[in-house]
Amino acid sequence: MRRASLIEKDAESIGTLKDLTNVFESLASTQVAKMKGKVLESQDFFGLLWERYTSLRIDPKRRLTNREGVGNNGRNAIILISAEAGLSGDLDARVIETMQSENDLSKTDIVVLGSHGASQLTQRGLKYSRFFKLPESDDFIDVSPVIKAVLPYERIRVYYEEYVSLGSQIVKSIDLVSRIADMSDKYEAGTMTDYDTIFEPSLEEIAEQMEETMMRIALSQTILQSALAQAASRFNAMTMAEDRAGELLGEYRREFHRAKRSESDRRLREVLVGIKKKRRDSAAAGA
Amino acid sequence: MAKNSEPKQIKVVARAPFKLYFEGPALSLSARNAIGKFDVLPGHADFFSMIEPGEVYIEPVEGDPVSFQVANGIVTVRGDEVMLFANM
Repeated sequence: MRRASLIEKDAESIGTLKDLTNVFESLASTQVAKMKGKVLESQDFFGLLWERYTSLRIDPKRRLTNREGVGNNGRNAIILISAEAGLSGDLDARVIETMQSENDLSKTDIVVLGSHGASQLTQRGLKYSRFFKLPESDDFIDVSPVIKAVLPYERIRVYYEEYVSLGSQIVKSIDLVSRIADMSDKYEAGTMTDYDTIFEPSLEEIAEQMEETMMRIALSQTILQSALAQAASRFNAMTMAEDRAGELLGEYRREFHRAKRSESDRRLREVLVGIKKKRRDSAAAGA
Repeated sequence: MAKNSEPKQIKVVARAPFKLYFEGPALSLSARNAIGKFDVLPGHADFFSMIEPGEVYIEPVEGDPVSFQVANGIVTVRGDEVMLFANM
C-alpha cells in the first residue's frame, strides 16, 4: 500500500483538476448560452435575407449554381468544419468518420476549417488541400477566402456539427450549391423582376453577386451551428471529466484513510512488539 | 425617384447578423452603391441594390439621425418597407 502522504498529495492534484474542470464547465455553459443567442439572431437575419433573395427572378442559365465550365477534372470539394482547439469531446472525430464513410476521398479535395480538424486528418493519414483558421470573432464571419477556394468545384459539400440539445450533437452535411438553388426555386409569391423593380447594379450583376453572398451566408451559418455544437460537446466533456474527477477523489480519500489506518496499525504493532521485547529482556535479566 | 402619391415616411429595418442598427419609421435612408450615393425617400420605387463600403445614414421620424459604417450589404425597398442587411 502507498504511503498516506503520497496519496494525500495525489488527492490534492485531483481536487485541483476537479476545480479546473468545474471552471471549464461553467465557461462552456456560458459559451453555449451565448452561441445559442447568436444562432437564433442569425437565423432570424438570414431568414429575412433568404426571403428577399428568393424573390429575385434569375435566369437559371445565369445562376452561379448552374454555371458551366466548373469542376477540377471532375473532383468535388468538401468543407470540413471543426474546432479550433481540442476539449470538445469526440465530435470532430465523428465528423471526419462520417465524411470518410460517405465520400470517395480519392476524387475529393478537402478544405478544412479549424486546427483541431486539420490535426485529426493528419493523424489519420488523410490529406487536405487547403486549411483555414476559424474566424476569431463570432460577430463578423468572413468566409470569402473559403468560398473563393471552393467556387471552381461543381459539388461542394459541407460537413459540420449541429446542436440538437445540450446532451446531443449530431454530424450533418449539406450540398452548398444545391441548397442555394433549392432556396431560389421554392419561393413563388412576391417576386421582384426588372419590370417592377429598380436594380442597381443590373439584375444580372446582382444575381451573380447574390448567389455568392448567399453561399457565404449559408457557410457562416454552418460555422455558427458548429461552434454551438462544439460548446455543448465541450460542456458535456467537462461535466464527465468533473464527475470522473469527483469519483477519483472519493477513491483517493478512501485509499488515504485505509493507508492512514494501516500506518497507525503498523505503528501500534511496532510499539507492542517493542513492549513485548522489553518485557522479555527485563524478564531474562531478572532471571 | 419619389412618386407623387402619399406616404410621408418609410419603415426601416437596418441590421447586421448580430446587430440591429435601426428599426422604425424614418424620413430617409442614404447609402452608397456601385453607381454612387443614393437616398431612399417616402414613395421610392421598388428597389434592390448591393451596398458599397461606407456610411449609412438614417433620418428617423423622431429622434437623432443614426449613422453607421458597413463593409457590404443589400438594401431592398418594397412599397414603404426598407430593409438593409449589412456586414454579411
